[in-house]
Amino acid sequence: MPGYIQGRNVNLTFRPPNRGPVRALSNFDIDINEGEFLSIVGPSGCGKSTFLNVLLGLVKPDSGDLQIQGKPIVGPGTDRAMVFQEFGLLPWRSVQDNVELGLELKGMARDARRKVSQPLIEMIGLAGFEGHFPHELSGGMKQRVGLARALATDPHVLLMDEPFAALDAQTRDLMQVELLRVWQEARKTVLFVTHQIDEAIYLSDRVMVMTKRPGRAKTIFPINLPRPRDYEMRTTPEFNELKLEIWNSLKDEITV
Amino acid sequence: MSDQAAPHQGFASRYRNVLLGLLAVAIFFAAWQAVFLFVPFNPLFISKPTLILQALVSLLVSGDLLHDLAISAVPFVYGFSSAAVVGVALGIVMGWRPRVGYTLDPIMIMFYASPLVALAPLVIVFFGVGVSGKTIIIFLLSIFPFIFNAQAGVHAVDRLLINVVRSLGGSERDLYLKVIVPSVLPYIVAGARIAVGRGLIGVLVGEFFAASEGIGYAIARFGDLFALDKMFACILCIMIIAVALTEGIRLAERVAFPWRVGQ
Amino acid sequence: MTETRAIETDIGGPLESAAPADGLWHRLESTIFGAGGIVVLLAVWEALPRIVTLSAGTKLFFTTPSQIAETLWQMFATGSIWVPLSVSASGFALGLGLAVVAGLPLGVLIGRSPTLNAMLDPFITAFNATPRLVFLPLIMLWFGLGLWAKVIVVFIGALFPILINTYEGVRNADKTLINVVRSFGANEWDVARLVVVPNAMPYIVAGLRLAIGRAVLGVVVAEFFGSESGLGVMMVQAAGQYHVDKVFAGLIVFAGLSLIMTAAVQVLENRLTLWRPQRAGGE
Ligand SMILES: Nc1ncnc2c1ncn2[C@@H]1O[C@H](COP(=O)(O)OP(=O)(O)O)[C@@H](O)[C@H]1O
Ligand SMILES: [Mg+2]
Repeated sequence: MPGYIQGRNVNLTFRPPNRGPVRALSNFDIDINEGEFLSIVGPSGCGKSTFLNVLLGLVKPDSGDLQIQGKPIVGPGTDRAMVFQEFGLLPWRSVQDNVELGLELKGMARDARRKVSQPLIEMIGLAGFEGHFPHELSGGMKQRVGLARALATDPHVLLMDEPFAALDAQTRDLMQVELLRVWQEARKTVLFVTHQIDEAIYLSDRVMVMTKRPGRAKTIFPINLPRPRDYEMRTTPEFNELKLEIWNSLKDEITV
Repeated sequence: MSDQAAPHQGFASRYRNVLLGLLAVAIFFAAWQAVFLFVPFNPLFISKPTLILQALVSLLVSGDLLHDLAISAVPFVYGFSSAAVVGVALGIVMGWRPRVGYTLDPIMIMFYASPLVALAPLVIVFFGVGVSGKTIIIFLLSIFPFIFNAQAGVHAVDRLLINVVRSLGGSERDLYLKVIVPSVLPYIVAGARIAVGRGLIGVLVGEFFAASEGIGYAIARFGDLFALDKMFACILCIMIIAVALTEGIRLAERVAFPWRVGQ
Repeated sequence: MTETRAIETDIGGPLESAAPADGLWHRLESTIFGAGGIVVLLAVWEALPRIVTLSAGTKLFFTTPSQIAETLWQMFATGSIWVPLSVSASGFALGLGLAVVAGLPLGVLIGRSPTLNAMLDPFITAFNATPRLVFLPLIMLWFGLGLWAKVIVVFIGALFPILINTYEGVRNADKTLINVVRSFGANEWDVARLVVVPNAMPYIVAGLRLAIGRAVLGVVVAEFFGSESGLGVMMVQAAGQYHVDKVFAGLIVFAGLSLIMTAAVQVLENRLTLWRPQRAGGE
């Protein structure tokens, strides 16, 4: 049975000018179910961001087969949206204009954009901040704007590249709770890249460990913890067992 | 983060940018030379690379060029080095002593914002067309980058580093050698790079005005004589000197202060 | 030993007093000292001929602030300033305008195209390092003594700061932000409009500020050596006739021109960069 997102033998090598080629993905296979929350953990530089960029349609693989709902990816599309690690907010645009970016590029009229962005801004708790510029927001607020912007175009697939890595631990915990709420409401398929095993287990249906570069799927761990999940779950023996298993799989790939 | 080495990468791709640059320069001169195959060549208003090269060689052989350069170099060296000494001293005092800084800042900014070249005629009339007049113009033009950069360098000394060295038992001498001088020096050298260009402007202004020798005078005279090939040769020579000085300092900065690369 | 002690604490001084806690006193202090410096300078200058007796030769070259102010006032009162000023200003404005019109697109182009950048780099490096003044005799030969020679001199002076800063600004456009807008389906034009140009704006404004200084310099030297009229011409003639006060008056007008233009750019910058946490300065 083909997955909702299906990748077979995806290969990608960067050939930067004035430097040697870098093989980022090698025979990468993946299957993701519709509505699933899949986390990806792997050593730095193993190709996680690269894979998300390929899915997003920003980078073309050299070879291999990559489909969403049976359709090959040819470029960026409104069925996918990314939440970026360093937020990726345009500093010269207000909160509202940032949230509406994708709608604007779709050619939607101002009033119609407003109708979409306003509830989203309320949902992320930033009502009253519409006119603020990114530099006036805290890290957590910025990433909420990033999330709202990604949701504005109502994509089926949400790609998240270490979205909470730049946040402090408390804000991160709160954002995780919020993300789960949004995901449960909107029922998106989520690909979530993170460095934190805790975070991956807490959020996901499955956690994929990648090998070091050139990146491939190494092991996939199903997370059969009940939902809705709460914070206390992180201290249960099951949770810790999973954490240890995943760490053992990951640590062989990490070279210091 | 060591990426796989790439031993088989070709020479061309490695030096792509340099090759492209050389190619563009070659095309430029070839096109310049070739254009006169199609349009009439009027040697009173334009010259071509082959003639310029000949002129350059003849000026070098006769020694005229070196003579003019030597003449111009004297006030440049005087003016530039005195600007460096006075400017750095002034800048450091302005940086060290906040009140001296407050007092002199507006005055310096005022001087800097006004086109001081405009005083050149006055300087020339007062001091004459010799070495002293040119030296003063060069001094006036090139002192400000030294002042401002030395001051900025002193301001940029990291207090934390001073405390670090102190807490590790460093002496006053260590403080100077390990923190203060390494912090300030890059600023001063960067200032020197900017000052070189302004100093060269001083040389040219002084010599265009009224002089009987020197490279600026040579350019102006060859222009008056419609000796375009020699004029271009002198211009080329100044360009080479300017690039050599500026890029030389830039290279020295990179070698001497590798930690500042990318700033 | 006492010397070095003083140095250490004073290095901390400006940094510490820059803290917001004593910001008001800091600002007051620097204003008082700054104004005091200028007042003292002018007072000493004014009083100098009264204190020391100058030789006849030096007297010829000496002027006082009051004399300069008087001359400046006369020039405006009689209106004798307007003709040379308008000649200079038009050369300045045309040259600077051309530099913006040429420098901006070219800067964007080489910022976006590594190949073009590599090819033009030798020329830009060479022309930027060389004082553009060397071309003055050539320009006079080609364009004569009129307005256009001046415009060209101003143009080549002002072009490079604008070109290079635009290039830097474009090249420094955040890769992530470009990816962000691309991921929403933006084309090259959208990328330029939404990311590259706004990002380059502060750089461009800084370049413009530098270019103004260069443009004023260009007007001055062009008029010194290759013009029939203008403020610079007036100054050279005044210097020849030992009207030192008139030379300084001209200098002040030129400085005023560059200050007004810089202030205008500042206003423009404040308009354009509301979104920024603080103003970044300099080159
Ligand atoms: N545009 C690019 N050009 C050259 N190399 C790249 C590029 N993007 C990523 N790489 C390299 O590809 C490898 C994988 O990068 P990435 O996908 O960002 O890793 P990560 O798993 O940490 O997100 C790294 O070695 C990185 O240096
Ligand atoms: Mg990454």
